[in-house]
Amino acid sequence: MPIVELNKVRKVYDTKVAVEGLSLTMEPGTMFGLLGPNGSGKTSTIRMMIGMTMPDSGSVSLFERPLHREMLNRVGYLPEERGLYKKMKVLDQLVFLGRLHGLSEATAKERSLAWCERIQITEAIGKKTEDLSKGMQQKIQFIAALLHDPELVIMDEPFSGLDPVNAELLLDTLVGLRREGKAVMFSTHRMDQVEKMCDAIALISRGRLVLSGSMREVKARYARNRVHVVFSGDESFLKHPEVEEAKHYAGGADLKLYHEAGAQKVLAEAVTRGTVVHKFEVKEPTLEEIFIEQVRAGFGREEAEEIAND
Amino acid sequence: MTNRLLNIWLIARREYVERIRTKGFLIATILIPTLMGGGMFGAAELAAKSKTAAHIAVLASQPQPAQDLSYELEHGKDSTMTVEILPLSTSHAALDQKMKDKQLDGYLVIKPATEPSQRPAFDFTPRSTADIATTTAIQEALHRVLIREYLAEKGLSASQTDALMAPVTLNVLGRNGERGDSKSAFLVAYVLFFLMYMVVLLYGMNVARSIIEEKTSRVFEVLLATIQPDELLAGKILGVGAVGLTQVGIWMIAFGLLAAQMGATSGVQISSAQVIYFVVYFGLGYALYSAVAASLGAMTNSEQELQQLNMFMMLPLFFSLLMLAPVVTNPNSVVSRIVSQIPFCAPLLMDLRVSISMPQPWEIALSIGLILAAIYAVLWFSSRIYRVGILMYGKKPNLPEILRWLKYS
Repeated sequence: MPIVELNKVRKVYDTKVAVEGLSLTMEPGTMFGLLGPNGSGKTSTIRMMIGMTMPDSGSVSLFERPLHREMLNRVGYLPEERGLYKKMKVLDQLVFLGRLHGLSEATAKERSLAWCERIQITEAIGKKTEDLSKGMQQKIQFIAALLHDPELVIMDEPFSGLDPVNAELLLDTLVGLRREGKAVMFSTHRMDQVEKMCDAIALISRGRLVLSGSMREVKARYARNRVHVVFSGDESFLKHPEVEEAKHYAGGADLKLYHEAGAQKVLAEAVTRGTVVHKFEVKEPTLEEIFIEQVRAGFGREEAEEIAND
Repeated sequence: MTNRLLNIWLIARREYVERIRTKGFLIATILIPTLMGGGMFGAAELAAKSKTAAHIAVLASQPQPAQDLSYELEHGKDSTMTVEILPLSTSHAALDQKMKDKQLDGYLVIKPATEPSQRPAFDFTPRSTADIATTTAIQEALHRVLIREYLAEKGLSASQTDALMAPVTLNVLGRNGERGDSKSAFLVAYVLFFLMYMVVLLYGMNVARSIIEEKTSRVFEVLLATIQPDELLAGKILGVGAVGLTQVGIWMIAFGLLAAQMGATSGVQISSAQVIYFVVYFGLGYALYSAVAASLGAMTNSEQELQQLNMFMMLPLFFSLLMLAPVVTNPNSVVSRIVSQIPFCAPLLMDLRVSISMPQPWEIALSIGLILAAIYAVLWFSSRIYRVGILMYGKKPNLPEILRWLKYS
């Protein structure tokens, strides 16, 4: 019973294809990461999810029904482009946005104050927005998306531009929401961020879905064929036929093997050649590595390098 | 539906409250009537100053009509000049030198007529040919002097002549037979015209500016996640319009108090019908122009870009301004009737006609109907432009793109 379902969605702006044949589903009560490099179509996809733009073809369903404006009061949205009324006082602004989401004046006020306390910006309440730092403004907008207690939270790059302390604070808040049973979807181009906290992911590139599914599924699909080795002495074992690719740097190397079983052979080779091995770790590939590999398979090596460098 | 109305109300209220609180509102409320009042007072002062006080010389061989002329010019209705009477033989070169030194503004040479039946010849050499007020004053004074001389010759006494030359009083009556003051009626009509012109322009631009502001601050994305573009548009127009009405209301009350203070001496009267028509046409005109402004705002990304498109708003307003004089002088001519039906001019020009000379009821009804139709058409157009335009950042759309937007939504 997916809470969000996109079916073969396509969106074209003028001559640029922003999203092409994109299908994905998100289960309720999960945290979902929408990943991709800059300009890959994440924002276009999210805008279609909240009905701000309509897909040229394909369909969008929320809460198991075709998207309808009435549903939007159950959705909390943080746009990528942050924006608040500069001259308005913080509390007035939050109450105004809360009321637009169907809250009464009193409830909106009460919740605004509670949230300001929760994410530690109580001192900003009486100030004008233009007098606040960017990070502060972002936190206020973060609150504005959550005031009406939405069942589904959709955030476009919620952590960009925040210092590590505040990013951590908002991240913890999102994890807390998920624990309360809310469905949380957010987009990011920082893949390491999602790796530890998302239940499911979708990777998109150039408007197309590269891969999607639960984190466990995605990882399980890939062999544990990465080796991180720290050594000193003879390095000729890196040329072992089981090694597909080796990134060699001072004192160590990251290897990619053809087969999961190859690790033991490579280690044996190193020992035979008298290399001193300090550390030998067999790992699953990171999301980033998976992503690059997928793109490379789909578009060719050059394009993959280009995307990875974004 | 109630939800939509609530959203419109919330947007309008925010727009109203935030605007009323600004210093700009306070300044405009005080400054605009001050400037307008100052301008009108200045113009009146200037008109009074144009009463000429030039210093001229009259060169004549005989005391008459030179002395009578000198009296007329020194104590006349439109002149308080200084006149020296000099013999005809005075050297022109000396006078020219005096003019050069700015001691003299001109000299008049009266050459006696060669035959008794003819008038003498009058040659006037002014220091500046542009000094029309002096020239006109001399011409009129000469005319009066010659008539007096002629009448005296015919044996009329001085008092008879005065009675004959006294200006005629024309009583201008209002429709109800009461004595009206046509000057103050014009004044009121002008003031209302310019008031509407300025407020419509000012607040129309405010709508456009506030849209651009939301666009540059990217507040739109948050708002559009819950409400629809047309709700936003309607709320904005109503909110900003309410601010304009508040401002005009403050001016009217202040003006009313001032008039009451000054009592009947001010002589300026505004009928309640004038006020009602003004409010109706102001509301309609504002709605029309702000709907245009909203689409301009949605199409542009910055104030500078807006300036370039401003002419779409300015042109019809400017045209109305051009038509002001023809309509005032001839409010019921065919031209006046036609231009006051053009929806973009009607709020200003039909209201002007209402103030000056009440048009036929069907004309008023037709103009209101046409404005309403135009408002509907423009709103239809702008809400479509708006829906697409507000999410377009960065580049200015060209005409084919705008047409595509219309199809798109």
